[in-house]
Amino acid sequence: MEQVFEIDELNLRYKDKQALINIKMDIEAKKITALIGPSGCGKSTLLRCLNRMNDLIDNCFIEGYVRYENNDIYTKNYDVIELRTKVGMVFQKPNPFPMSIFDNVAYGPRCQGIKGKKELQDIVKKALVNAALYDEVKDRLNDNALSLSGGQQQRLCIARTIAMEPEVILMDEPTSALDPIATAKIEELIVGLKDKYTIVIVTHNMQQAARVSDYTAFFLLGRLVEFGTTDQIFGQPKQKETEDYITGRFG
Amino acid sequence: MMKKRRKNILDRGAYAGIATISLFGLLILMLLFSYIIDKGANLLSWDLITGDYYAATYDSYYEGELNQDGYSANREFESDVFYSEKWGIALKDDINFEGKDYVLVVYVSDESPLANLRDKNDEKNYVAISGGQSMVKIIFSNNTVMYSKNGAKAAIELFDNADGIKDMITTTAGSGIRGSLVTTGYLIFFTMIIAMPLGVFTAIYLHEFAPKDKWYINVLRRSVELLTGVPSIIFGLLGAAVFIPLTSTLTKASGGNIISGSLTLAVIVLPVIISSVEESLKVIPDDYRQASFALGANKTQTTFKIILRCSLPGILTATLLSVGRIIGESAALIYAIGTVIKDNIVVTEKSTSLAVFIWSIMAGEVPNFELACAVSLIILIVVLILNMTVKLISYKLTFDRNRG
Repeated sequence: MEQVFEIDELNLRYKDKQALINIKMDIEAKKITALIGPSGCGKSTLLRCLNRMNDLIDNCFIEGYVRYENNDIYTKNYDVIELRTKVGMVFQKPNPFPMSIFDNVAYGPRCQGIKGKKELQDIVKKALVNAALYDEVKDRLNDNALSLSGGQQQRLCIARTIAMEPEVILMDEPTSALDPIATAKIEELIVGLKDKYTIVIVTHNMQQAARVSDYTAFFLLGRLVEFGTTDQIFGQPKQKETEDYITGRFG
Repeated sequence: MMKKRRKNILDRGAYAGIATISLFGLLILMLLFSYIIDKGANLLSWDLITGDYYAATYDSYYEGELNQDGYSANREFESDVFYSEKWGIALKDDINFEGKDYVLVVYVSDESPLANLRDKNDEKNYVAISGGQSMVKIIFSNNTVMYSKNGAKAAIELFDNADGIKDMITTTAGSGIRGSLVTTGYLIFFTMIIAMPLGVFTAIYLHEFAPKDKWYINVLRRSVELLTGVPSIIFGLLGAAVFIPLTSTLTKASGGNIISGSLTLAVIVLPVIISSVEESLKVIPDDYRQASFALGANKTQTTFKIILRCSLPGILTATLLSVGRIIGESAALIYAIGTVIKDNIVVTEKSTSLAVFIWSIMAGEVPNFELACAVSLIILIVVLILNMTVKLISYKLTFDRNRG
């Protein structure tokens, strides 16, 4: 078992609200880890700690350790840009840039200084194929990305992330804005991506967690209540709160 | 029941009030427009736009042969135009911008000797009489004299009886606005070159880079907003006190010039640019910034590749608004660039923009109302087109956002 992330005694506080309390968990390589829990439990916050997206929020204070490949990413001199190229992120609302499909996928590589036209074309094609979008858009790569449907836009966002050749993909409720058919496609895609990437997914949808993930972590009010294999969490939860939540008694 | 009815009456009263006030506004606007169009529209012509302001006077003569058959006109004339077949010239009575009668040259045949005369003062120069010029005085070789006050019909009769011209004084049309148009163009160009990058990057700094909730940033922003409300004549004083000495030191200019005018205008339009670009930055979804950062882009890349690109419509709007402001500005420019109407524009010399041109021709001893109205009409049309373009852009923008 290889750990990609080791999270230890992580505390996170917004101005006057403690959002994460003493989180300790490891994230395993080439597996899908689902973070579940009711709204405001801190699961998205934790996800954003993993590629330091919380840096963008004012008045956010972090203590504890998040080690990515045995390096603490919260040390002062850690290269955040490098981290984010290794740890990609897909957001809740599909957010392609208002430019062409090609430019969207090529954005990340271009920012890393890749300029060759042929090279970019190869990267874009490969990423779109891996995101199961290529066949649908191959004839209109120069169309505006906003002309795609919601599900296609989200797969484009996944393709955009894949184009960076990351090791980890963080997904923040990637299907919550999509209809069931688009959701099914994305889930299928996520499971397919498991061979190459470590995936951490935040979801509101417990069936989704049960369907796609290998490990599940249940959060409540900023605390990690229970963490284990998905079969164990959904089959034999050890904590009463977990059982109440997954059986739908609250949440 | 009573209460409801009373409310109804109140509503109607309010409605009637609002309608009356709006109608009143519309009426004033219509009055203004119809006055300007009535006074100025018949002066609007290509000659007005491309012509010199100052009329040139020519002194010429002709002692050569005339074609035996005369010169036929290749076009029809209206009934108030008189044509001399012998000389190939058509004249007409007209009233100039100052309200005086004069004899207007309507047409000169291409073969006519009048199209190819010698300058009396300098034998090497040619003088070509052509449509739009006016006849001032002619002494024919048979010693008859034509004066403009006697009218076109008498002039044509004299032409038909004469075989040569001893001395002919003519003037070109004048009162054209080409010089002021060129100055306005220069002002727009230089002002935008100075103000656009400054304004756009200030807006980006204020919105993207500046620390939030810091008192000095708020002071900065408030000051920018305050600048919008400062009367422009005060900026004119700034131009006279700072920019004219500055440009006089740095260039060969002495006194007001186009550069000092542009610098003054840049200060005036800067707050306009900053606030409208900042408005457009505010509506860029934060999702774009986050997505860009999550893809490993740094702040500079995000700013230039995403933010700047998304704010392009805002930047365009700011440009058009500023151009409108530059075209319409007069008070500040009276100090900052001067009120001397020029035909040959030099960047380091005084000249007038269109708006100041109006001021200049109205400030003289004989106010030229018709010309002022014609120029006003041009300014109004340009500003109207600019405003409509801005509306179109913002409409398209909202439409796109709703769709997206």
